[in-house]
Order: sequence, then structure tokens, then C-alpha cells
Amino acid sequence: MRVQTLRPSRARRAARPLAWRCGAALLLAWLPAVAPAADSAGAAPAGVSDPLEAMQVAQLENGLTVLTLEDHTTPVVSFQIFVDVGSGDEARFTGLAHLFEHMMFRGTKHLEPEEHSRLIEARGGRINAYTSRDLTVYYEDITSEHLPLVISLEAERFANLNISEESLASEREVVISERRWRSEDSPEGRAFETLMALTFFAHPYRIPTVGWLSDLQKVSLAECLEFFRAYYAPGNLVVAIAGDFDTEETLALMRQQFGQLPAAQPSPRNPTEEPQQLGERSATVRMDVQSPLLALAWHAPATGHEDAEALDLLSLALSNGPSSRLYQRLIYGESVALEVSAAYWELRRAGLFYFTVQVRPGEDAARAEALLFEEIERLRRESVSPRELQRAKRAMEVSMVAGQGSAHALASRMGIEWVFFGRVIPLAEKLARYEAVSAEDVQRVAQRYLDPAGRNLVRVLPSNAKSGAGGKGGS
Amino acid sequence: MKRAFALCLAALLIGALAWALFAAPPGFLFSPPRLWERPSPPVQERPVVDAGRLHRSALPNGLEVLVLEDRRLPAFAMGVTLKRGAGVESVAQAGLTEFTARLMERGAGERDFRALDAAVSDLGATLSVTAGWDSVAASVSGLSRDHEALLAVLADVVLRPRFARDEASRVRSEQLAGIRKAGDDPNTLVAWSFSETLYPQHRYGLPLAGTLTSVEGFGAQQARDFHGRIATPRAAVLWAVGDLDSAALLPRLREHFGAWSGGPPPPPAADPAPPSQRRIVVVDRPELGQAQLLVGHEGIARADESRLPVQLLNTVLGRAGFSSRLMGRIRADEGLTYSISSRFRQRRAPGPFAVRTFTEVSRVGELLRGLFEELARIRTEPPGAEELGRAKSLRTGAFALGLETSGAVASALVALEIYGLPRDSLDSYRSRLRAVTPEAVAEAARARIHPERAAIVAVGPAERLVPQLEEWGEVEVRQR
Repeated sequence: MRVQTLRPSRARRAARPLAWRCGAALLLAWLPAVAPAADSAGAAPAGVSDPLEAMQVAQLENGLTVLTLEDHTTPVVSFQIFVDVGSGDEARFTGLAHLFEHMMFRGTKHLEPEEHSRLIEARGGRINAYTSRDLTVYYEDITSEHLPLVISLEAERFANLNISEESLASEREVVISERRWRSEDSPEGRAFETLMALTFFAHPYRIPTVGWLSDLQKVSLAECLEFFRAYYAPGNLVVAIAGDFDTEETLALMRQQFGQLPAAQPSPRNPTEEPQQLGERSATVRMDVQSPLLALAWHAPATGHEDAEALDLLSLALSNGPSSRLYQRLIYGESVALEVSAAYWELRRAGLFYFTVQVRPGEDAARAEALLFEEIERLRRESVSPRELQRAKRAMEVSMVAGQGSAHALASRMGIEWVFFGRVIPLAEKLARYEAVSAEDVQRVAQRYLDPAGRNLVRVLPSNAKSGAGGKGGS
Repeated sequence: MKRAFALCLAALLIGALAWALFAAPPGFLFSPPRLWERPSPPVQERPVVDAGRLHRSALPNGLEVLVLEDRRLPAFAMGVTLKRGAGVESVAQAGLTEFTARLMERGAGERDFRALDAAVSDLGATLSVTAGWDSVAASVSGLSRDHEALLAVLADVVLRPRFARDEASRVRSEQLAGIRKAGDDPNTLVAWSFSETLYPQHRYGLPLAGTLTSVEGFGAQQARDFHGRIATPRAAVLWAVGDLDSAALLPRLREHFGAWSGGPPPPPAADPAPPSQRRIVVVDRPELGQAQLLVGHEGIARADESRLPVQLLNTVLGRAGFSSRLMGRIRADEGLTYSISSRFRQRRAPGPFAVRTFTEVSRVGELLRGLFEELARIRTEPPGAEELGRAKSLRTGAFALGLETSGAVASALVALEIYGLPRDSLDSYRSRLRAVTPEAVAEAARARIHPERAAIVAVGPAERLVPQLEEWGEVEVRQR
């Protein structure tokens, strides 16, 4: 029931669909419980084997894909359904993908609203869903004896969804409440919403996933049902199951329960691509805050691009830990910021390289901006040192090894990679790609993507302050 | 022509029938079984920790050692958790634990801040010192091949922090700026105001990070002294989890921590006095479209004997997703909010019990009426056998999920040490939970839920909130 958004925090896990790729600041607090013995010989620099090597793929006749990873280490299973639709597919009504995700909990032919959740919760399971610009994901994490129940409940709502005007009316209010909480009353939420609309002039990624308020107020039940018909077809579904279960039995149950969904026509997709940006843009948001906030973005490649690893390492050199450049300069050296983050965010059809700077209360946002730009330019001029590059690679390695966490983390990686790439990328291959990046590569991507003329800058400034303002510019 | 058409139609119909009978996916003609209508399968209960993976010992100086081996991936985490935290600060010292923890990361042993960070980040590892109400936890994590180097870093940070003066003034200035900034966030603002309202005289009334007044006075010497009081092997746990060989590790741990000495830790602070009457506070933020709300009063301590009945009670009331009474009524039925939940914050002394939610400003009165009805109802209509059975089943399953990883198991074991609880508490949890009777939960509701003196704290436009809140008593308006 969440909107997946970008947040200016140092742990950037929620910020990006491919969380394994970037969470360098992760603690090892969640050591993996679902993984095979890790003593297979030297597949990767860390000598780590990939738990997903044991993954199996099956496809039902109606086009639904089932990915399974059987592991009996702990009596837990994660079941996740990836629907190939997100807010990037919306056309007339924004927020529809996310609102519809909520409606999937509002009852079926045989179940009352929220009864599905209650049945899972009564067995101690976790049940939730999230929507991003590219995907809608429903999941249950539960002790393994209840997997058949989960499959049966999920099939029920995909086959027999039954939602009413009444249940839409109350859920509409819930989503508006979510929007106010996440996007309107939060400086980070406002900054992010504005930054996306500023950076993407044309591409539907400009739409906030939670939707604009007026659309949420007006969207009808008929629109919801049409959305379901167009996008919730078996060919758009990938089911990922990881943990303690029997593959044969589970596949048989999947066929029995999900085989009933009729195959459908391909779903409509938005054709719009982002035109080239021809100059810097900026926007200002005034709010009742003491601490100014800056959010910046440059266009960067979509997921799967050959520059992805260099961009990730660039982001780590800039903002991972106290030895990073932006920490040293803005937080430690000049004491102008409280938090700084840089990240490459790879969406499916476009990407961003973004920064957030939480300026100290009372400090000048313009000075923080100037220091940030100086550091970016220095990197474009001189690249990173061998030691900085090495640190970034090690941080990436640790996070990838540690990021093979719970059954949930594994199922999530299976589903996302399958939807995006049509395969699961072996850990060894990922690690090798990072290892191959040189300091010249980092400089090259910095030069190519972080051109001052291509930047988009949002300033959240105190409503009573007069300095540091900038009008809304354009290309 | 007609005949050909009829033949075609017949062929189609026969084909369709044959397909439906033989080739169609199951369920096309016959509904698949509805498994939710059948009884649940029996739940397997495996031991929380497999025998042989957990190694406990104690050093002669009193330091407890806990090693949990998990050799599946080449990674580890290791730490020292001190069993005292912000709970032992005086009101005037509020935030000193946080200040000390931050400074412990800023140089130790032979290394200054930069060198200490380099030693960790060159390995792609992490170092952190976390301040809590009842503990300070220093930890390192990384790849297991680097554990010796990171163990040396950990020992320096715990035993030999430098507390350099220039770093102290930086940390102080960052902490002050962080406190000012935190008020920008309505979620934080409501939490801080709620604590202040509930505990006007006690340390729990102030934020963990302290206040502008208290932090202003901190320097290196205060941190050094505070560290000297709480960092003692007589009140600490040394823990390690992951791809480590305990037999080889133990002598190394003794080398680093065997010579550590210290006196008794500071005594825990006195319990806060429970509020005697309701207070209603509005923090004025005129621009907000949605009001943030916290409603509640004193709760229970972590070691309270009624913990499990209270946990089940709270599960039914507001901590069970859509199965909770509050979520079912306020969100699912009335659509008044995205989120509503209740919680007993359990610390060494009784922390707050609070219901947390938010709603559109004009609907605050309506939401609170529903909320107070539910608080009253949990006392007059406590959960019966069926509702309680669901809550037990929920907690049992959530317990297994919550301990899925070795890291989570280690944290839970360390928490038992912090609060001096029996070491078999995790193993006995499920049977203790099953033994809780409906009467015990009803008694917990009567003893622990007091709607008549629950504080109400709201952050939002005072002009529109005050008229809605006056129904419950006199409203005090504060500026941020």
C-alpha cells in the first residue's frame, strides 16, 4: 500500500527499483538466512556463490511466469506478484496504478474488503504491496505451511476481484490521506514531486506515483476496472516465490489456481520519450521549514545500460560515508549541510542521477549549491583517485554479498530482474562489471551526464526567507 | 450457406466443450478450492537457534560474550552493546548519550576521525555507534575475511575513544542543527510534543538527542566522563554473528577485551510518574493540510510481568494491520486515514502507550470520537477466545518471521541481556504466549488502558483544530 518514492536519505534502499545495486551504506544487521552453502570456489571476488543460481523458471499456458527458489533453511516463504504496470503507464488519470493497487485489497466474489489481509495476518504473515513508476508488486511473507493459502487468496483476487463504488469512496480518502502525508506536508515529498515534474518535461515519469489530488478526487470505478482489464493480464504477471516449499507441489498449485486467468491482448504503453534538455532548470518551493533542502537531477541512462556501474561508483565516491567528497566538503569541511546524498536511479525507460542536500538551518542554500557544483566539476576535471575507486568497489561488493538477505529480498530481486531484463543477472557477473570500471570510466560518465547545462534544481526554502530564490526556468 | 454456418457453429461448440473438459486450465468450469475456508495446517515450531551455532561465555572481567555462527555467506557483524543509555541521563544532560556515541565514531586509539574512517571504508565495511534509551551499541560489519582488522577497530572505539576537542565542537554543532531541523517534520514534531506533554519532569519527556539548551553545554570532557561511567565490562555484551569460527575467535576477543576494567554502571533512573489528568496540546502549524495526532498515556516497562497479555491486547487494539480494531474501523470502514496504530514503547522504565495517526484537518474530531470509543470498548468488550486466538496466531507467525535472519536472532538475544531477562525467553515465547488467558488480557485492558487521562497532542492549524478538540477538555496551544 505504499508508493515507492525517492527519499533523500543515506540508506537509499527505498529510492530505487534495483536496490541491490546501490545500498552501500547497509549494515549487515540482516544477515541472510536463505542462501545455499557459500563455499563454492571463487565465483566472484568475494568467493560468494549466488543463491539465485538454484532458481527455476516455469511459464503457464496463459503467459504467466513463475520463478521459484527452494531453500529450507528457515521455515519461511516469500510470495510476490510483479505486475508489469506502474504510474509511468498512466494516461488520463494520474495515481491510477497506485489507487488500483489499494483496490486489490477491497474484496472479491468470495471475500469481504480487507479479508484477504486479515486471513494472512491471522497467521502471522506480512502482507502489503507497493507501486513504483514501472511496477506494481503484491507480496506475502509467511511461515511456509501457509503458502497454499497465499496462492489461493492471490488467485482469488486476480480472478474474482469485486469492488464497489462504496469501497472506492472510502479508499479514495485513504489514498488522499497518504498523498497528504507523503507528498504535501513533507519537505522531502514536495521536493521530490517537484523535481520529477521539472526534470521530465514530457515523459510520464513526471507523474507522481501517488497521483495529483484532483485526479484522485475524480477517478471513477469504471476507470479502475478498465485499468485492471488492460494491465492485469497473465502475460504481464511474474510470480516469484523464495524459501521453504516444494517446487513441484507449488507449481501444480500455481497451475491449478492461476491457470484459470484468460490470456489477453498486449497492454497499451505510453509512447512519449523525453526530448533533449537544452539548458538548466530550477524551481522553488516555499514551506514552513527552518532547514532548506536542495534536490537536483540530471538525465541518465535507463536500467541495464553499460554506464550503470560507473554511475553507481561515482555516486559512492561522492556521498558514501565520511570519507566521501560531499561529506568532506559540505558536512565536515564547510559545515553547510546536515546530510548529502548522491545516487544513480535507474528506471526502466529513463534514468536520473540525483542529489539531495539538507542544508543546515540558518545556512545559505546558495552557498551549499555552489559547493556542490564545485565538487561535481572537480570530479569531472580530475576523476577519482585509485583509493576512492577501490573503496567504492569494496562498498558495492559488501552490500551485494550482504544484500542477499531474507527470502523477501531474494524473491524481490528475482522478480524485478526478470521483469526488467528477462533474466536474473548472476552476482559474479555484477561484481565483475563493477571490478572492470576504471577511474577514466568514472570521469567519462561524470563528464557525459553531469553537464551543468543539463541540471534540474529544486530548492525548498523557508516561506519567510528572501535569499537564494530562483524562478522556474526552462530549456 | 446457412447449413455450412450451422455446421461451423456446431463444430465450434463441440470444440469449445472438448477444450473446456480436457484442455482448459483447471478452474475454468470448476472453481478451485478455497483454501481459506479450510482449517489451517499445523504450524511447525523449530528451535530459534540450531544447537551448535550459538556460543556463550564470559571473560573474567565480567564481559558477556555471545557468538552466533552463520557460515552461509562470507560476511559478519560484531559489536559491543553497553547496557546503559539515555535513560540514565539527567534532564539537564539530555542528549549526552547521543553526543558521546557520535564522538566515539570520530577517532579512537591511534587513529583520528579520518584515519578511523579510512580503516573501515578501505574494506567497504561499516562502523556505527548507536545511542538508545537503554543501551549504546558500537558495531562493525563487513566481509568475514576482514574481521581481524575490524575487531581491532571495534576495540579502539569501545575502549579508547579520543574525544578530541575540535571533533566535540563539530558534533555539538551538528547535533544542535539536527534538533532545529527535526522540527520541520510534522511526524517528529508530534512525537516530541507528545513526550513533553506526558513526562513534564522526567528524562523521557525530552528527545533522545536532547534540546537546544542541554546540548549547548556539551564538550569533550562531558562525553569522556559519561563514557567512563557507562563503558564497563560489568554491564556490556560482546556479540558476533555471521561467517566466523567461534573457537578461533574467542581467544582474539579475549586479547582485545580481557584487560578492560570498570566499576558498576550507573543505577537506572526512577520511573516517571503517570499523568494524573488529561492534557490536550496543539502545536500550531497553520499550513498543514493534515493533522498529525498522538493519543496516550504511560505504558509498561520491558521487564513487566504482564508483557505478553499487554502485547496481545495491543495486537487486537492497534498492531495487527487490518486485523486490528483501530485500523478496521478508522481506515477500512471510515476511510479517515492512511495509517493508525498503537504501541507500548517498552524501556527499562515504563515508556509511553500511544495511538498514532493522521487525518485531514476538518475530520480530527470525528476520528478522535471513533478512537476513544475503541479505547473504551477494549475495556468493556475485551477480546474473546476467537479474537484472542487470531492475535496469538499472528504473534506466533510474526515471531518466526522476525527471527528469519541470524542478525535478528543476535539482536533479540542481546536485548534479553540488556533487560536482564531469562536467556531462554525466545525459546519459551510461543508456549508462554499460548498460555495467556482471555481473563489476563481483560485484566491488562483494565489496568493499562485509561482513556479518561489519555493525552491528546495534535500538530496542525490551531485555528481549525482547537474547536474540534475542546470536546475533550481545555486545549493548550504552543508555537513550534
